[in-house]
Amino acid sequence: MHSDLVTYDTPPISERERRFSRFLLFFEDLIKVPIFRCQHCGECILSSTGFVCSQRCPKRLRNGPCGGTRADGHCEVFPERWCIWYKIYMRSKFLGRIKLLYKINRIHNWNLERTSAWLNVFKKRIDAPVLFVRNDKEYEKLDDFQRQN
Amino acid sequence: MTFKDKINSDQFIVCGEIGPPQSCDGDVIRKKSQYFKDIADAVNITDNQTAMPRLSSIASAKILLEEGVEPIIQMTCRDRNRLAIQSDLLGAAALGVRNVLCLTGDYQTFGDNPEAKGVFDLDSTQLIATVAKLNSGYLLSGREMKKAPEFLIGAAANPFAVPFEMRLIRLCKKIRAGAHFIQTQPIFDLELFIKWIERIVEMGLHEKIAILAGVMPVKSANTLLRMRADVPGVKINDEYIQRMEKATDPQSEGVKIAVEIIRTVKNLKGIRGVHIMPFLWESIMPTIVKEAGLRN
Repeated sequence: MHSDLVTYDTPPISERERRFSRFLLFFEDLIKVPIFRCQHCGECILSSTGFVCSQRCPKRLRNGPCGGTRADGHCEVFPERWCIWYKIYMRSKFLGRIKLLYKINRIHNWNLERTSAWLNVFKKRIDAPVLFVRNDKEYEKLDDFQRQN
Repeated sequence: MTFKDKINSDQFIVCGEIGPPQSCDGDVIRKKSQYFKDIADAVNITDNQTAMPRLSSIASAKILLEEGVEPIIQMTCRDRNRLAIQSDLLGAAALGVRNVLCLTGDYQTFGDNPEAKGVFDLDSTQLIATVAKLNSGYLLSGREMKKAPEFLIGAAANPFAVPFEMRLIRLCKKIRAGAHFIQTQPIFDLELFIKWIERIVEMGLHEKIAILAGVMPVKSANTLLRMRADVPGVKINDEYIQRMEKATDPQSEGVKIAVEIIRTVKNLKGIRGVHIMPFLWESIMPTIVKEAGLRN
């Protein structure tokens, strides 16, 4: 019933493809590292997290904040840092992308670590990024749960 | 009547919580279980609580089963990768454990082994989905099992941490992943909790999942102050700290506060039960339950 949340049906990665992936990763890093501080998970969910990299969380949570966010919105582990999911929520609200926070991100495929997410999207190993969101105002009311189920 | 039947019925649920010792003394669990017998519908067993190694929650659950108390094992993602989680869950099911609470887990630097490697292979939402998948008869790899476990899946919710809206989104995700009941963080701010539960009722989530309100009796004002300083995500009203400081007998004042909170949340719409966490004070459980009028 919930198999779509946890299983992978991805084609194996050939050696040739890995080489190409490394080559592509160089260019991807030039953009993603300075702008998003990309952590190279290879399974990019930036578009669904308000373009804030969720993998900067010490627990590398992919589905929302842990219960420990401090009252000022800082991280429980490193009080000097922002809780990355606090930032994600604020940015998503600002950009009108709250709707995308409802998406359950699948279990991380560690085979894709340090591979090019762009190539992975092209090869349909991971979901394509969502660029535009419409009617997000409705989702801010949080009543979409009925619609989805 | 199992815990699952009780969750599916209309009755008011009382859950307890036992923290296993940092030693191999099973008698501690046996002794503590007596405080919960015939009082609590089910008892949580923490899994290396506050990131310190303790007697394993599954082993403790077996002891509780022998004592005739229904256990809810807590399962954290901090210590196990997906292989260990699946094998532990299957092992627990084989021992007769029927309830599991899925948590992400405290970060390892909070405990006494701060140098440890945190695993966090899954997060709590994905863990819920994993248990749901095991329930449906399949391992994560897609292999079909000859016998499927029948876990009642629990999840945690924190109504008190920012960003509040994100907490509700996360709760929706957990419900969609397959959770059956929710246990909240301990309530020390009723106003905020009431606002949260009103929001939940408004969204209709209380019909999809059983919400158990967390209550924690405390022994002294110091405990509250320490919790406020050291435990992130817990919100404590000044009112309670002042009351505890003024009280001549802080222990009975602690019980009074807990009973007051239970009585208030009991009458709220959308609350299906309470989850009492007598941290290091299990012996107080019968008193609280009796004074709150939950059991005769």
